[in-house]
Amino acid sequence: MLSLSLFTRIEIDIMAAAAFHQAVATVQSSQLLINSGRRNEFGNVSMSLIPKGFKVNSQLSRSGSYGSGKRNFGVIQASASQTSVVDPVSTPLNNSTSEAKKKSNEAALILVRHGESLWNEKNLFTGCVDVPLTKKGVEEAIEAGKRISNIPVDMIYTSALIRAQMTAMLAMTQHRRRKVPIIMHNESEQARAWSQIFSEDTMKQSIPVITAWQLNERMYGELQGLNKQETADRYGKEQVHVWRRSFDIPPPNGESLEMCAERAVAYFKDHIEPQLQSGKNVMIAAHGNSLRSIIMYLDKLTSQEVISLELSTGIPMLYIFKEGKFMRRGSPAGPTEAGVYAYTRVISSSGHYHLLQLSHSLNGPLQVLK
Amino acid sequence: MAATASIQPVGAIHLRDCGNDSGSLIGKFSSRCSLKGFAIDGRSFAKGICISRQGKLHVARGSICHALVMDHFSSTSDTTPDNNEKTLIESSLILIRHGESLWNEKNLFTGCVDVPLTKRGIEEAIEAGKRICNIPVDMIYTSTLIRAQMTAMLAMTQHRHKKVPIVTHNENEQAKTWSRIYSEETKKQSIPVIPAWQLNERMYGELQGLNKEETAERYGKELVYEWRRSYDIPPPNGESLEMCSQRAVAYFKEHIEPRLQSGKHVMVAAHGNSLRSIIMYLDKLTSQEVINVELSTGIPLLYIYKEGHFMKRGSPVGPTEAGVYAYTKV
Repeated sequence: MLSLSLFTRIEIDIMAAAAFHQAVATVQSSQLLINSGRRNEFGNVSMSLIPKGFKVNSQLSRSGSYGSGKRNFGVIQASASQTSVVDPVSTPLNNSTSEAKKKSNEAALILVRHGESLWNEKNLFTGCVDVPLTKKGVEEAIEAGKRISNIPVDMIYTSALIRAQMTAMLAMTQHRRRKVPIIMHNESEQARAWSQIFSEDTMKQSIPVITAWQLNERMYGELQGLNKQETADRYGKEQVHVWRRSFDIPPPNGESLEMCAERAVAYFKDHIEPQLQSGKNVMIAAHGNSLRSIIMYLDKLTSQEVISLELSTGIPMLYIFKEGKFMRRGSPAGPTEAGVYAYTRVISSSGHYHLLQLSHSLNGPLQVLK
Repeated sequence: MAATASIQPVGAIHLRDCGNDSGSLIGKFSSRCSLKGFAIDGRSFAKGICISRQGKLHVARGSICHALVMDHFSSTSDTTPDNNEKTLIESSLILIRHGESLWNEKNLFTGCVDVPLTKRGIEEAIEAGKRICNIPVDMIYTSTLIRAQMTAMLAMTQHRHKKVPIVTHNENEQAKTWSRIYSEETKKQSIPVIPAWQLNERMYGELQGLNKEETAERYGKELVYEWRRSYDIPPPNGESLEMCSQRAVAYFKEHIEPRLQSGKHVMVAAHGNSLRSIIMYLDKLTSQEVINVELSTGIPLLYIYKEGHFMKRGSPVGPTEAGVYAYTKV
């Protein structure tokens, strides 16, 4: 068992990474020059500049002053209590531990499935009908937020449905970081112009929230609004079972899981993965089928396997993206749970990386388990 | 004057002058219950309004178990009033201003930047919901900004009515098709929620995202004061209150008022400036007066719409407050 002193060099550095991007964003945003009448509004910029801009960031990082190429990367498997060593929120940007800046191609990806909606409660097929959360769904969102309150978030993607958007916004009220989620509007020129932000400082303190129909729940066609009884009456039990549980058979005028996966994964690859590649930490708040489609891609599942995949509602799922690979890290535990883990990468004296699992009981010192 | 209540209240219902002559029902009440007083008395909802099954307005005084009032508020939209009662179509209009947003907390000018609610704003929305949990709602209008939409949805989690708010999508053909409901039964149990940019907060132009300090430095204190407090002077590339009123009231007249006219009960969840613009129209205020209107956040404001007139009914009190009245049709 290693003593605590070894860990003075450990930089659980997710926040530093985020701060890094924030710092680089300064370079970027000073070029934004938001002026009235020009196209470089925040809304516009955040859609097109971010992918390009943050790729530039990663180049800057290699040549910039952010350290000698050593990297420490910490993943918070669970947030411990406030007394935890693992408190990246308080890591200041200009800390002497500058060597601990994360290399830009590692990023956190959080998936959150929304909780109970008013039609779940009534046992109606929902699909893309825009039904809001119940009280319970609201609580689930807040609980989810507590679990991820220490995991950095630079961008948020949600579906176009209010239950996912609310889940994201409610969860973020629990976040330790002081950045403010701001929903992007691009539905029209006016919407874009009207939602412009005119202060660079404020922009730096913002987390863009991007809504995308491609992250919507699987569209359930003519079953939307029906209850299970009605549906079985109308179509027969077996047929309904096939629609619900197959991979590629859609309900009338609806989507199969395959069709849902197509548009969800395409969106993920086109829009979200580039953000992760450039080191942005991303949260996706979406639905059972759109998220399992993405998980199918992340975990390389077969169509057989994805059918049996069930993502819990309101329990966030964490992945680490690194060098093009997605590593599943499970669900961050709530802050009140005993025996929470934190994972951290340590640089040994030889310069090799070791992934250590640390256990931090609420009162005791950090102990290495393996 | 028989009290043939269709529900069995726990408390006693004392009916005063509840005539069966529907044509003069309100007139009778005005002498006892100071109905005229309601029009100018913006005080509490203590004299409560109940909208009956046929959309008829009856005002009675009585204490009633809060829980039972809702039984009366079943869907009013699928019954047609008979001829005698047509002239008495009355509907309720609830205005709710959203609560604290993350930029309110930081003291930044928000305008149309889409900033969500704080924890406190969420609580305010839920509290607002408790206050209106017994007032029927057939349709909800919100702005396109999440803080107003969340306020509406959170408030409705407290509603006693079993109808489900459903956000309507018309932004394009696919959005429309994809959000279709295929059960008549379910549709009847739905409350359409219609987002409209015309109900957005006043667009604050180049002040959006700035704090008061920055703004005073950039433009000078006097100019900033003028933008904030005048009726018709807009900040750079922004809207004046007048411009905001124009599009908000036009939307109200074109889309919301016809609903009220047909007896629908409507809730509008929006923002300080878009709501005071509407209030300016409802209460026939001057531009001088509207500048001084301050709508509390998270405190719903109730109006009764009848025969083209809007009667302000003040703020509904919550169910936990003593001395709450409820009204029921007998």
